[in-house]
Amino acid sequence: MSSIAEERPHWSPFARYRHALWLLTRRDLRVRYSTSALGYIWSVLDPLVMSGIYWFVFTQVFQRPLGSDPYIVFLLSALLPWMWFNGAVSDSTRAFLREAKLIRSTKIPRTIWVNRLVLSKGIEFLASMPVLALFVVFSPGSAINGDLVLFPLAILMQTVLTVGIGLIVAPLVVFFRDLERATKLVLRFLFYASPIIYGTSNLPEELHFWAAFNPLTGIFSLYRAGFFPGELDWFAVGVSAVMSVLILAVGLLVFRRLERSVLKEI
Amino acid sequence: MPETEATPVVMTVTDAGIRFRRNRRGRRNFKDLFAGRKRRSRPGEFWALRNVTITVRAGEAIGVVGRNGQGKSTLLKLVAGVILPDEGTVDVRQGVAPLIEITGGFVDDLSVRDNVYLTAGLHGMTKAMVDARFDEIIDFAEIGDFLDTPYKHLSSGMKVRIAFAVISRLEEPIILVDEVLAVGDKAFREKCYRRIEELLASGRTLFFVSHNERDLRRFCTRGLYLDKGALVLDAPIAEVLARYNAEYGTA
Repeated sequence: MSSIAEERPHWSPFARYRHALWLLTRRDLRVRYSTSALGYIWSVLDPLVMSGIYWFVFTQVFQRPLGSDPYIVFLLSALLPWMWFNGAVSDSTRAFLREAKLIRSTKIPRTIWVNRLVLSKGIEFLASMPVLALFVVFSPGSAINGDLVLFPLAILMQTVLTVGIGLIVAPLVVFFRDLERATKLVLRFLFYASPIIYGTSNLPEELHFWAAFNPLTGIFSLYRAGFFPGELDWFAVGVSAVMSVLILAVGLLVFRRLERSVLKEI
Repeated sequence: MPETEATPVVMTVTDAGIRFRRNRRGRRNFKDLFAGRKRRSRPGEFWALRNVTITVRAGEAIGVVGRNGQGKSTLLKLVAGVILPDEGTVDVRQGVAPLIEITGGFVDDLSVRDNVYLTAGLHGMTKAMVDARFDEIIDFAEIGDFLDTPYKHLSSGMKVRIAFAVISRLEEPIILVDEVLAVGDKAFREKCYRRIEELLASGRTLFFVSHNERDLRRFCTRGLYLDKGALVLDAPIAEVLARYNAEYGTA
């Protein structure tokens, strides 16, 4: 029996945080893919089926000019990020409740319970990018331009926004269970209130200004800029950046305030 | 291991207090939640622990004594950092291996092997460190044939065994034990106790909650007697047990 206590590595708090975050994210992905036979296919199939439906309804049935051509690329370039946002926010309603046992027995920075959801859904989002690439390559009339470099900026802004919302929702749901269903409802509303199946330019003129205050408007316009230069709207992007940072700040504040009570409650 | 003034302090608890709500069904409102920790105690709340001050030096073996519901487990959880005090401070300067709710960190759908790496990793072990200890952990848990079995298919005894094997191998300088060993058969319990003794011999600091007087005397030198959320006596274990027996007449 040796006294090996000194052998433990000296982690900086940041390294420790990253280590735990990565472990839990990997666990999430592994559980998801080891318990279902189709694994990866599911995370791609869902947006594909949805796109197929919207494509059929809006280009074959109604023949109403929405968005830009090719419509399927237009759809996917916002629908895939939306899946990430939607998945992370709706999972964050159960961030504490589902992992209560683990949270009660492990001392790691509590924001990890939210951040790992954003990260694992984010990785799934990145894993679905080849699908978008395929459609860009094979759809007649699609083109890419230099604004594609804005893609990472969009990912960064979306991360900030999603983490912020997760930090607000996750602790509050512990005390107000109704919020779980309310969140789902708001998400459904937000799907149609955000430029996913349409573009900002399809909105009536007087709504353009207000649409920018949905932070997703600016973010999706960045994602789309690389394929549809007309979609880039710097005003919306600016508002969205400010809103995202603001929401993150509020999230951190709410989270810090409620952490103590959450730990008692679960 | 003698505790002198020169031995480094590993933990100081200063005036710590924590309150809980008496009935979980009570309505919460936003004002309540955001009021922070300065607010006064409300009618539906009680102090599970209050005005507790302890200084612990490296290598001490401390037994926590008290009747059910007097704050023993709450104290351990505060030390483990899984709940936060409403008053005062809990300053733990070294890593803690909590044998509290030990199976909590294990995921039903993952194999035993994955679970070992996950739990040890969450407690700050690198993959290389787990690799080096993996065989020993499995040996200790006597679970070699079930490495790739999903955790949920293990018997409850096996679950506790593998959990104990991992947590007690974390190489953390402070160990917290909360009556987990009541589970498992006699032979394994004895094995766990021997492991705890080994850890103590190598200079670890121990916090031990138990109702078993024999176990308390076996491991501990110092005792803490908690009653109604207050620290009533902090003295050598024999003295603490004598007082406890005098007041509640177990023996």
